[in-house]
Amino acid sequence: MEETKARETMIQVKDLYKIYKMGETKVHALDGVDFEIYRGEFCAITGPSGSGKSTLLNMLAGLEHPTKGEIIIAGKHIEKLNEKQLVTFRRERVGFIFQSYNLIATMNAVENVALPLSFRGIPKVERLKRAKQYLKLVGLEKFMKHLPNQMSGGQQQRVGIARALAVNPQIIFADEPTGNLDSKTTMEVLKLMQKIVKERNQTLVMVTHDNNLATYADRIFKIIDGKIVHIEENHKEVDLMALEQIYEAGGVIENQTATSDETVDPEEISEPEIMTEAEGGEEV
Amino acid sequence: MRFFDLLTMSVNNLRRRKLRTALTVLGVIIGTASIVVMVSLGIGLKEMTVEQYASYGSLNRIEVMSNYGWGSDSDEEGFLVDETMELFAQIPHVESVSPTLQTYVTLKQGAYTSGTSLIGVSRATLEEIELGQGTLPNPNSNTMELVVGNMVARNFYNSKTGRGYWDTGEMPDVDLYNDSFFMTFQNTGMSDGKQKKYVFPVSGMVAGSAEEYNEHSYGIYVDIDQLKDQLKRVYKKNPIPGQPTNKKGKPYNYFVYDYAYVYVDDMDNVLEVQNAITEMGYQAYSNMQWLEQAQEQTDMIQAVLGGIGAVSMFVAAISIANTMMMSIYERTKEIGVLKVLGCSLGSIRNMFLIEAGFIGFMGGTAGLALSYGISKIVNQFLGSALMGGQSGDISRIPPWLSGMAIVFAIVIGMLAGLFPAIRAMKLSPLAAIRNE
Ligand SMILES: Nc1ncnc2c1ncn2[C@@H]1O[C@H](COP(=O)(O)OP(=O)(O)O)[C@@H](O)[C@H]1O
Ligand SMILES: [Mg+2]
Repeated sequence: MEETKARETMIQVKDLYKIYKMGETKVHALDGVDFEIYRGEFCAITGPSGSGKSTLLNMLAGLEHPTKGEIIIAGKHIEKLNEKQLVTFRRERVGFIFQSYNLIATMNAVENVALPLSFRGIPKVERLKRAKQYLKLVGLEKFMKHLPNQMSGGQQQRVGIARALAVNPQIIFADEPTGNLDSKTTMEVLKLMQKIVKERNQTLVMVTHDNNLATYADRIFKIIDGKIVHIEENHKEVDLMALEQIYEAGGVIENQTATSDETVDPEEISEPEIMTEAEGGEEV
Repeated sequence: MRFFDLLTMSVNNLRRRKLRTALTVLGVIIGTASIVVMVSLGIGLKEMTVEQYASYGSLNRIEVMSNYGWGSDSDEEGFLVDETMELFAQIPHVESVSPTLQTYVTLKQGAYTSGTSLIGVSRATLEEIELGQGTLPNPNSNTMELVVGNMVARNFYNSKTGRGYWDTGEMPDVDLYNDSFFMTFQNTGMSDGKQKKYVFPVSGMVAGSAEEYNEHSYGIYVDIDQLKDQLKRVYKKNPIPGQPTNKKGKPYNYFVYDYAYVYVDDMDNVLEVQNAITEMGYQAYSNMQWLEQAQEQTDMIQAVLGGIGAVSMFVAAISIANTMMMSIYERTKEIGVLKVLGCSLGSIRNMFLIEAGFIGFMGGTAGLALSYGISKIVNQFLGSALMGGQSGDISRIPPWLSGMAIVFAIVIGMLAGLFPAIRAMKLSPLAAIRNE
């Protein structure tokens, strides 16, 4: 824990509430959430469907205003920003990866990746050069001129990742980035994200309903009914190959201890309870 | 975002929906063309009216009449004399003043005879006459040299039969330019006996055939100073017909002009100068004063024509707004994505404004081209029919109208796109994230 405190805080959330009023009834999508995320961390937010994961992520990305509470990102209170300032905040600090990729259908891969750069006023030549670099990084050098509908889901999401990374953001938000991909591609995409983010010391916050995918993360936030019920430190190098094989076999990880055994720091092993909960878990 | 990037994105969006864009542009084409053609007709009408009045006489000119003969007793104050000319010349905007002395003479050539006005004008006025043949009178000549109107010859009649052109329909057999003719001045009334016959050299003929009327067609024009000298020679000490006499019936020792032309620097100042002259107690007329009235009418016609054109432009504007609205509904998700990716609100608004403006620009340009075509056809087939035979184009598109048409189409497009653009700007970025 001392080690954790020494790290630089990137996102700080204090007593965060989001209440949707639906006529008479009130939906507590977020019901008092507190946590910190550090620079360079890969955090997963997991929880069952409807538990408030997306709501949390959207508020962190400044897409929604909280009902109550504070969100401090890189020392800045973003809950106080207006629409215009939020756009600027996103443009300067945030990359976003969508579940349904959301590539612009009329633009080819390079143009899609270059798009957010144009919002920053970067000249075209420079933009395309950078976009190509990032497409290479995600392994799409052969698909530069392909339109979204000429690419597979995995390829499209790689373009989406390249687009999020191209602006070199401090934080990358991803809401179910692999939700529309098959299991093999899911693994590839996740590994890619993890690798790039680690290399560049960027902060990645990923929402997923799949506990297995969350094991790629450094820390796992478990949300149920708008409350964080558990934060799991995951300081271990997951045996990705092994996980992948299990995953592909269509099963869930039955034995968490198998991976836990390999962790450097046995004190920080997650409680088995978390993983058993995952068994009640979602479809792939 | 850079303007060029915005423009590229907007144009690409338009290209994405070619048919819809084309239909909307078509609306703007029709709107622009109808405004331009209507306004061009208005301009044509207006300019032709001006041209028509200009053919009656210069629009910069005011005709001032002497007041004598109107009052009960001849009053020297109303006379147009050299001092009056100087007074007129001092009115602001007056460029020059040209007195006119007129007398009635009888002409005779062979069996044919006719009466006509002999009009003495200043050198400046003489120079305004458009000559068909010959030159202006030599100002240093001792004898009076004539410039003969192109319709003078038609008024001759055969003194034996008493019939002329108006009875027979045949042109009288006179040639005033090549053959000499006699001129007789009026009797004084006091002295009896016949006046002498004179023969004066003709230096020039007014331009135009015997059928083409202009303001100099019916007179014989001479240098006013030569006319004064000639009149003194003819009448000596006797009162000159047409010139006023004092209470004792004696002539004055100076010439009183029949009327004077006052030339004003600009058409627009004519009425002001005319008022000043009227206040000095003279009767003044100008073509401008009639033109002014006619222009009130043509202005109204132009407003009505422009209004008709504006209606179709209005319809086009609604169609642009509709297209943009549809486009925004379709692209809700895309707009959300742009916002999540950090596209500024202003850029999103501008993107749609540019899109709408570009529709206006394309429609305006094509509409203008169409207008030139329609204008050409109208001029070819309708022009003279509409204006009662007056020659000239009825539909005129001056450069300013071309420029205005395109600017107007762009502005209308952007105005129509303003509401949709603001709407797009305010769309929630969450739309992009929600998976339907
Ligand atoms: N715009 C909204 N209006 C009303 N209720 C909403 C809205 N967005 C989310 N909710 C509710 O808030 C809760 C959390 O939603 P969400 O964050 O999308 O869950 P998750 O992403 O974990 O599946 C759900 O009960 C959902 O119905
Ligand atoms: Mg969700």
